[in-house]
Amino acid sequence: MTLVNILNQNNLNRQQRESILGWALILPAAAIILSLILYPILYNIYLSFFDVNLEGGNTYIGLDNYNNVLFDPTFWNSVLTTVIYVFFTTIGTTVFGLIVALAMNKEFPFRWLVRSLVLLPYVAPVISVVFAWKFIFDPVNGIFMDIAYEKLGIFSERFNMIGTPEYAVWVAILFSIWKGFPFAYLMILSRLQAIDATLYEAAEIDGANRWAKFKAITFPEVYFVIGSIVLLRIIWNFNKFDEIYLLTKNVKVLAVYTYFKAFTGAMEMGQGSALALVQFLLLIGFILFYVKKVLKW
Amino acid sequence: MVKNNSFLNRAGFFLLIIIILLFSVFPFIQMLSTSLKYQWDWGNPSLIPTQINLEAYKELLNIGQLEKDLPESVQNLINETPNITKAQKKAIIAKFKDTSGVFPFFRYFRNSLLLATTAALLSVSIAIFGAYSLSRLQYKGRSTIQRGILFVYMFGGILILIPLYKMFVNMGFLSTKAGTFTSLLIIYLVQTLPVSLYMLGNFFRTISFSIEEAAMIEGAGRFETIWKIIVPLSMSAIVTVFVYSFMIAWNEYLYASVFLRGFEKLQTLPIGLQTLFVSKNAIWDRIMAASMMTAVPVILLFMSIQKNLAGGMSAGGVKE
Amino acid sequence: MKKAILIIMAALLILLPLSVFAGGEEEVQEAGPVSFDFWTTETQSDRMATIQVLIDTYTTLYPDVSINLVAVDENDLVTQVQTSSAAGTLPAMFEAPAETAVAFGVEGIVDITAATEIVKGIGKEKFYQGALNVLETSAKDGYYALPYHGWIQGIWYRADWFEEAGLKPPTTWEDTLKAAKYFYQPDKNQYGILVGTMDGEGYDEQCFTPIAMANNAALFDKDGKLVFNSPEMKEAVEYYAELAKYTPPGPQTWRARDYYLQGKLAMFYYSTYIMDDLALAEVAAGSLTSDNFESLKGTGFDPELVDKTRLAPIMTNKSSAGYGTVVALGLFTQDDSAKTAAAQNFVKYLYTQNAYITFLHMAPGGMNPMLKEISTNPRFQNDPKGIFKHYGAEKMGEIIQGLDSIETFSIVDGNRMEAASQITAQKIIPEMIYKITQEGMDVDKAMAEAESKMEKLVK
Repeated sequence: MTLVNILNQNNLNRQQRESILGWALILPAAAIILSLILYPILYNIYLSFFDVNLEGGNTYIGLDNYNNVLFDPTFWNSVLTTVIYVFFTTIGTTVFGLIVALAMNKEFPFRWLVRSLVLLPYVAPVISVVFAWKFIFDPVNGIFMDIAYEKLGIFSERFNMIGTPEYAVWVAILFSIWKGFPFAYLMILSRLQAIDATLYEAAEIDGANRWAKFKAITFPEVYFVIGSIVLLRIIWNFNKFDEIYLLTKNVKVLAVYTYFKAFTGAMEMGQGSALALVQFLLLIGFILFYVKKVLKW
Repeated sequence: MVKNNSFLNRAGFFLLIIIILLFSVFPFIQMLSTSLKYQWDWGNPSLIPTQINLEAYKELLNIGQLEKDLPESVQNLINETPNITKAQKKAIIAKFKDTSGVFPFFRYFRNSLLLATTAALLSVSIAIFGAYSLSRLQYKGRSTIQRGILFVYMFGGILILIPLYKMFVNMGFLSTKAGTFTSLLIIYLVQTLPVSLYMLGNFFRTISFSIEEAAMIEGAGRFETIWKIIVPLSMSAIVTVFVYSFMIAWNEYLYASVFLRGFEKLQTLPIGLQTLFVSKNAIWDRIMAASMMTAVPVILLFMSIQKNLAGGMSAGGVKE
Repeated sequence: MKKAILIIMAALLILLPLSVFAGGEEEVQEAGPVSFDFWTTETQSDRMATIQVLIDTYTTLYPDVSINLVAVDENDLVTQVQTSSAAGTLPAMFEAPAETAVAFGVEGIVDITAATEIVKGIGKEKFYQGALNVLETSAKDGYYALPYHGWIQGIWYRADWFEEAGLKPPTTWEDTLKAAKYFYQPDKNQYGILVGTMDGEGYDEQCFTPIAMANNAALFDKDGKLVFNSPEMKEAVEYYAELAKYTPPGPQTWRARDYYLQGKLAMFYYSTYIMDDLALAEVAAGSLTSDNFESLKGTGFDPELVDKTRLAPIMTNKSSAGYGTVVALGLFTQDDSAKTAAAQNFVKYLYTQNAYITFLHMAPGGMNPMLKEISTNPRFQNDPKGIFKHYGAEKMGEIIQGLDSIETFSIVDGNRMEAASQITAQKIIPEMIYKITQEGMDVDKAMAEAESKMEKLVK
C-alpha cells in the first residue's frame, strides 16, 4: 500500500495528490488497452500501403489500395447498407429498450420472471440463435411464410426474406434489435430505479398526467443514459460483423465486405486494411456529426 | 406509482407485456420445437411436432447410446497391422467406440463460464477505479486518455486479428494452455474495458458529489469512499457492466476459434456449437437441442442475479 | 460482511483460471521426438474418429512420431491458414479440395518437392490421370498436392415423378428445362430444380460448369487465352438463368437439398455424398412404426425416397460433360525438415490398401479412390452402407471412371490453367450468376463485368 503512504504525506497539496491518484487508478486499464491495440492498428495502417503476399515479400504500392477501394461502386453500396443498418438498429434498440424498461419498472405479477425472460435474446450465443431465425424465415418451410402467405394471404407469393438482400437487410435489422434491446433496457432500467420516487409524488400532487411526468421527470433523468447507449450502439453496429455474417451473408455492410475482401477469394489483405482504415474514418465522421448535431456537446 | 388506472389502461399494459415477451422468446420456441422434431418433420412449418423426438437430447447428453459398430475396414486395418500388441489394439478400438466426445456440453459450458466470469470480474474491477479516476479526479491528461480510449475502440476489428495473433505467438503465450487462456482473457479485457470505463464513468458523474464529500470530511480515504459509497450506489450499473462484459466473452467466436484451435480441451460453447453444426449431415434437431441446453442454464443464472439485484437496490439518495 | 465478499471475490479471481487446468481430464500425451499437425476438412465427428484410428495405428507402429489431428471447417480454412501463415505455425499436412490446394500452391506456401516425391514413390501410372492433372503445376514439373479422394456431381431426380409425368430423365438441356418447368408449382410449395444462385458460393460454379461445358463453352483455349465472352458461353448463361427461375425462392445453395428430402423438389444438383445423406433418411424411416404413416400425409415424407431417386451424371447439349471434384492431401512448407519427412511417411501410409479403404468407407459414394487398383478391390466394394450393392458395382464403377476424365474450366486438353483456379477462388462466376438471377442484371452487362474481372487476373 505504498500508494496510500504517498498520498498521506502532507508535503503534497491536494491537487498533486489527486493527480497521482488519478493516474494510478486509470493506469491498469489504459496500459492494457493501449499496449495491445496500438500495434495492431499501426500495423494495419502500414499494410494498407502494400500489396500483401502470404509468403512475405510485400510490395509498396502507395495509394493504389485506397484507389481500388474508393472507386469501386460495391464499396459505396456497402456504405449505404451500413448507414441504413446502423440508423435503424440504433433507433430500434433504443426506443424498444426504453419502452421495455418503462414497462418493467412497473409492478405486475411474475415480473421477476418476465424481467429474466426478456434477457434471453441477449444472453444466448449468436451462433445458436441464428439457426432458429433462419428456420423462421425459410421461404419453403418457415413459419413466417406459412402464416403470412398460406394462412393470411398478405403476400401474393412465397419469397426469400432472409436471402434476398433487399429484404434480408431488414431481417438483419430486426435481428439486431431483438439481440440488442435487452442491453438498452438494462441500462435504462438501472437509471429508472435510481429516480427518487418523491419526485413523482410531488408531480402528482401538482396534477401532472403520465405524459407530463415522463417529459418532466423520467426523460431528463434517462437522457444521459440514452445518449450513451446511442453512442455505443453506433460504434458497435458500425463495426458489427458476426451477427450479420452468421445470419445472412447477403447483407454486405462494411465489416462483412472487408471480411470478404481480406479473407476470401483473392485474399486482398492490403485492400482489406485500407478498407478498415476508411471504415474507421467514416465512423469518426459519423460520431462527430452525432456528437455535434444530436448531443450538442 | 400506478394509481387510478382504468381497466382499459391495465389491459393495454398487459398486452404490451405479452407482445414484449413474445418478441423476446419466439425464436426460442422455434428452437425448442425443432429440437423435438424428427427429421421427416422438419419440412412442417407448424411449431408443434407431429411426434415428439427426444433422441437429440439423449445423444447430446450421451444417455442410452449404443456402442458404435466397428466397420469391417477398421477391423481389417487393425487385425492386419503387424507388430501391434493386443492391448494396443484394444486401446485403439475403445477410443473409436467412445461416443462421449460428440458434444461435451459440460466441458464447453465450464470453459465458457470460467472465461466469461473471469473476464467480466477483472473488467469490472479495473473499470471501477479507472472510471472513478476519469469522472471524479482532476488532473492533466485526463481528457486525452478518455478520448484516446474511445478513439482506439472505434477501430473495428476483424483485421486486428492477424497482428494480435502474431503478437501472442511471438511472445510464446500460445504454446501452453495457461498462456492461451490468459491471451484470450486479455483480449476480452481489451474489448470490454473501453465500454466499461465509459458506462461506469457516466454513471458515477450522476452521483451527487456531496455524499462523497461528507464522508471525506469525516475522515474516509478515497479508496474507502469508492468502496463504501460509489460502489453500493452504482450497484445496478456495475451489474449491467458485468453482464455486458460477460456476454462479450460468452459470445465471442472469431478469436476463440483461432486461438483455441490446438486446444480441444479449452474450447468454448460457441466453438462447440459450430463444431456440432458441421459434425453431421442432418443436424437440425441436435443443433437446436444444443442451443436450448446452452440457453437454459444462462437464463437460470440471470434469474438469480436479477432477484439479488432487485433486493439490494438502493432506491433513494441518488440525485443530480 | 462486505470484506468477506471482497475476499471471496479476490479468491475467485485467482482460483478461476487455475481450475481450468486443474480440472482433471488432463491427458498425458507422449509426444514423440517428431510431432506435427494434420488439418482436415472432414469435420464430421464419425469421420474424425476414423481418421484418429488411422493415426493411432500408425503411431503405434512408429512410436517416435505423434500426429495432432485438427478439424477445420472448409469455410474457415482460408482464414485459419492466413493467420497461421503469418505467425509461422502452419501444419505440416493438410487435406483440402484440389482447387484450394492449388491456390495455396500459387501463394507459395506448399512444399511441391515433397508432394512430388510421394507421387513418384507410389507411381504416377497408378493414379487416375485426370485427377493428377488437376494438381499438376503449369510448368508440369511437379504436383502441388496428391489426389486422395473425389466425388462426382450430377442431377439427382425423382424417377417416380418423371415416370408418372412421362418425362425423359434430365440428361439434356432440353429435357432438364422441360422437367423443371413442369414440376415448378410454387402455389403447392413444390419446385422444379435446385441450382446454385447465391453470391460467393462455389456451388453455383459447380452447377454451372457441366452446363457450360455441354455447350462447348470454356474460359480459356488451349493456348491459355481468355475466351469467356463467346456465343456458347452466353447461351449457357442464359440457359442457366432460365433454369434458375424454377428454383425455390431467393438465392439458393446446396443446403436446400433438404427440400428434396421433404418431397418438395423434383431435381437437384449434388455430389455423390448424397448417397450417404439419403441413407440417413432411411435410418429416420426405420424408427417409425406403421401407424405413424397415417399422420404423415401432407408432410411430404416418403420412406421409399431412396429407391425413387436416380442420378443423371452427364449433361448433354452440343457435347457431353460431367463434373467432379478431387480432394487432395498436401504438405505446407515447414522450417523443420523432420516434420515434412514424418508427414510424407504418414501420407504414404494413407495410400496403403487397408488404410486407404478405411478412409474411403467413411462416406461411401462420396469418397472414391484415386488409385485405380483400389476401385476394383472387393474389400472396397463391400462398403458398410451397402451403396455398392444398392447402386450396383457396375454403375459405381462408371461413376469412379468419371474421375479419370474429370473436366473443369481449369483443365484444357490436359493443361492446367492457374488463372482459372484464381477465377474460381475469387468466385467471379457465382457473382455473375447472382447478379443475373437475383438482381435482374442484363446478361451482356454481367458477362462484360465478369470478363473484365477475369482479365485483371490473367495479366
